[in-house]
Amino acid sequence: MNTTRTLSPRARWAVPAVVAGAVAAAFAIPAAVGAVASDDLPAVTADELVDRVANAEPVPVSGTVVYTARLGLPDVTVSELQGAGPLDLLGGSSTMRVWSDGEDSSRAALLGDVSEYSVVRSGAEAWTYSSADDEAVHYVLEPADQERYDELAQRALEPEVEGDVPAPSELADLALAQARISTDVEATDPVEVAGRAAYQVELTPQTDATLVDRIRVAVDAETWVPLRTQVWSVQDAEAPALEVGFTDVSFDAPDAGVFEFSAPAGAEVREVVVPLPEPGTTGRPSSSALGGDGDGDVAVSGTGWETVVEVSEVDVEAILGATAEGRLPEGSTGSSGADDLFEELTEAEEGELPGIPELDTRALYEQLTTPVDGGRLLSSALLSVLVTDDGRVLAGSVPPAVLEELAG
Amino acid sequence: MTAGVPAAPPAVRTGGLTKRFRSGQVGVDAIDLHVPRGAVYGFLGPNGSGKTTTIRMLLGLVSPTAGSVELLGAPMPQAGPAVLPRVGALVEGPAFHPYLSGEANLRRLDAADATASPASRAGRVGAALERVGLTAAAGKKYRQYSLGMKQRLGLAAALLRPRDLLLLDEPTNGLDPQGTREVRALVRELADGGATVLVSSHLLSEIEQVCSHVGIMSRGKLLAQGPRAEIAGSGTTEVRVATRPDQRDHVVRVLAGLGLADVRVDGEVVAAPLGSVAVEKVAQAVVGDGVDLLGLEVRRPTLEDVFVRLTGEGFDVAR
Amino acid sequence: MSLAEAPAAEVWAAPARATARLLRSELRLVFGRVRNIVLLAGLAAVPLLIGTVLFITQDTPVAGQGPPFLDRVTGNGVFLVFAALVSCLPFLLPLCVSIVSGDAVAGEAGAGTLRYLLVVPVPRTRLLLVKAVAALAYAGVAVAAIAVVGLVAGAAFFGVGDVVLLSGDTIPLAEGMLRTLGVVAYVIASLTGLVAVGLFLSTLTEVPVAAMASTVVVAIVSGVLDALPQLSAIHPGLLTHHWLDFGEFLRLEVDGSTLLAGLAVQAAWVAVFGALAWSRFTTADVSS
Repeated sequence: MNTTRTLSPRARWAVPAVVAGAVAAAFAIPAAVGAVASDDLPAVTADELVDRVANAEPVPVSGTVVYTARLGLPDVTVSELQGAGPLDLLGGSSTMRVWSDGEDSSRAALLGDVSEYSVVRSGAEAWTYSSADDEAVHYVLEPADQERYDELAQRALEPEVEGDVPAPSELADLALAQARISTDVEATDPVEVAGRAAYQVELTPQTDATLVDRIRVAVDAETWVPLRTQVWSVQDAEAPALEVGFTDVSFDAPDAGVFEFSAPAGAEVREVVVPLPEPGTTGRPSSSALGGDGDGDVAVSGTGWETVVEVSEVDVEAILGATAEGRLPEGSTGSSGADDLFEELTEAEEGELPGIPELDTRALYEQLTTPVDGGRLLSSALLSVLVTDDGRVLAGSVPPAVLEELAG
Repeated sequence: MTAGVPAAPPAVRTGGLTKRFRSGQVGVDAIDLHVPRGAVYGFLGPNGSGKTTTIRMLLGLVSPTAGSVELLGAPMPQAGPAVLPRVGALVEGPAFHPYLSGEANLRRLDAADATASPASRAGRVGAALERVGLTAAAGKKYRQYSLGMKQRLGLAAALLRPRDLLLLDEPTNGLDPQGTREVRALVRELADGGATVLVSSHLLSEIEQVCSHVGIMSRGKLLAQGPRAEIAGSGTTEVRVATRPDQRDHVVRVLAGLGLADVRVDGEVVAAPLGSVAVEKVAQAVVGDGVDLLGLEVRRPTLEDVFVRLTGEGFDVAR
Repeated sequence: MSLAEAPAAEVWAAPARATARLLRSELRLVFGRVRNIVLLAGLAAVPLLIGTVLFITQDTPVAGQGPPFLDRVTGNGVFLVFAALVSCLPFLLPLCVSIVSGDAVAGEAGAGTLRYLLVVPVPRTRLLLVKAVAALAYAGVAVAAIAVVGLVAGAAFFGVGDVVLLSGDTIPLAEGMLRTLGVVAYVIASLTGLVAVGLFLSTLTEVPVAAMASTVVVAIVSGVLDALPQLSAIHPGLLTHHWLDFGEFLRLEVDGSTLLAGLAVQAAWVAVFGALAWSRFTTADVSS
């Protein structure tokens, strides 16, 4: 006790300085250590890597995923007001928690401050649940499709869910699937992602006519599960325009209870019967899916990274005015990263948005798009969408001018 | 105390104690206080002369810019935890929580004292309140106390424990003449009990009568200190004889005959510096000479006289 | 009073015991003060108020609107606890915590009682520690008061039942109570950084209101900065950024690392501002 007053004032003021330094170090060092690349991995060529990922045995995976989008879109952040919903993915950073049993069950939860938006799939049925408005949507197959689903040995097909959230491997799988088409593939230095040693592969489009500058995928060296995908736009060489990656991952099988969902008491429940997509036709969207009259055509022009999808006879007014059931099925753009993006972005143009039903869809549409000659244009770092006044929607990972030219 | 045992160190000793404020102003300028054990030390000086800052430095509340402090032989502030329980203090007026009762305030201070057993707390608090005459008002909120009661509670806090040294800064502030007398009596009682008391005041007359020692502060400097008689002795003691007007000249002659110099008629009395003549000699001589003695007064020099002589200005002049 | 008995009679209490003694006194001071009791009552009234309003409006069109959890309350009284905490976290709780922690040292300095405590003597480090613990205890009681009143009022108005998590899954009431306890504990822990900031600011001034106000300002500015997307790089370190992470207790699987991240940030603020407060308080001249 007698010694407490013997330190000189200068020595006493050194204490907070030392403490501040220690605190800074405590927060900085783990980050720095985490950034250390894992050099001990046996070398793998890019081609081998792509093959290993494509042929990897599905494994259970769970963890925390951080999704960051810098798409250059107007800020439509609403989660603070409305709770977490898929619209969060248009910009900024979102955190998701994912669980997958490696087979036909998965769960993804988009986390808000004190809210959550969940997508739970278990075999042929699926649920979405938004805590903010206590609404659950239950997706089931038509009886015939259900039978067909049960017969499928490989359950590659799953019912489509409105307002899905991206699984981290989805984007990577799409990107890697395009690896050999007009793309330079190169294995880069291994990295550490979510505490795991990971190989990295970089995909660079050979064409200049796309908004995608390059895509980098980090793949777990043990399980060959993609851990992180980063997409750079040609507009910004520094920060990726889109990044989805685990910050924390585990390959232990999740508790089966995670995939068992039933609507909580008191929640508003909507039952939706969806068709099971035909195995051979997943790449062929129909215009009816976009709220057209069913006679519309889907035209695809360009290949690879330059692909532009054109859907005609889309009744934009109807979509904006009322609930629209449709959406672009996956794979419709035929382009790698653009697919997922398209999915996210088109949601913004759909009618009832899961999790944010109160949001004025028309206002959002007008906020995200800008009027151009003959229509409205959505222009982001990775995707352009042109909605023409005569009811056509053109989309692709290409500069807006390309769309306008195609639209005529 | 037997010979060969070293004398107890002084109750307060400072060496070159200096406080320079951040503004650059020197509040206390290299003072060497020396308060012997058992003394009642009058720490005198006008408002703003540096008394309170000195007392704060003695107690370790303010750290000196230079110089050293010893309380009861132990260096401050290092020895504070060990020595302060033996020191009672009243610093710049009483200060208590206004929304607590007087008693609750004392209990809080007692609870803060690591050397005070909680078991005997009620007894200590009760005794301290009784000593300053606040027993009846013990349960009253401090904010409802009069100025005098607040001052008493401050004294009670200083007297919660048996103390070897009391540092009382302006203890008579806000007290009526009766209260002032009580404080004087208390100081005397404490000194009789063996404690050393340092009393500061800007009103010389209020405490100089109880002091055995004095120190005089002005503008941050300690101008003089020592036994009161010594300090005051540097002035002159007068004898003043009152008699009927027709006998005044007679008295003048008698006093001059005793060898007193500078005998003069001062209003209705005859006055002269006493010098080395004993006062009873004066009385005998006057009465023996057939004078009708109406009054005889010995007027000792006041400290104020000394102060004016030392500083060349009146005591109550603010800096 | 004799000279001889004085020093001999001193019995030194062990520092821990002396600290405990002082802490008891300090707690009595903090919780006995009318102003602080009124603040507590005000906080405790929030769930009561929310509960009453929801009870009256539950069958009207405005039911189910408002901040998170509000729409759940009428179905399950447990959610009144969360709704009340969410309502109090942005302003009322920081305000009350700022008042008490800002007052801690500055209040004593302003009243002049600080000098008398120090000459008792109370070692400055001990006094600061006791002040910090008492202010934290007040924060804890404030949060607990909201929770307890919320639970009681919620049960009385709407009854309690199995708890629906944010993920839509349902857990039994008993586990829901455990998680509620976790929420309360996390919210209390979230306020420790603010207590440390308040304590430091409290050592800088003799005017308690100044310390209280600047502490509130720190909390509010932190909230404002947290809302600016341009500053997302510094968000994770902000005092208030992780406050709403208590929602983690209401997810399917409670992720410890999320909670730890929030607690680590609070620990960092406590360490830095606690050290600053200590340096300041143990070197400052007490001239009030």
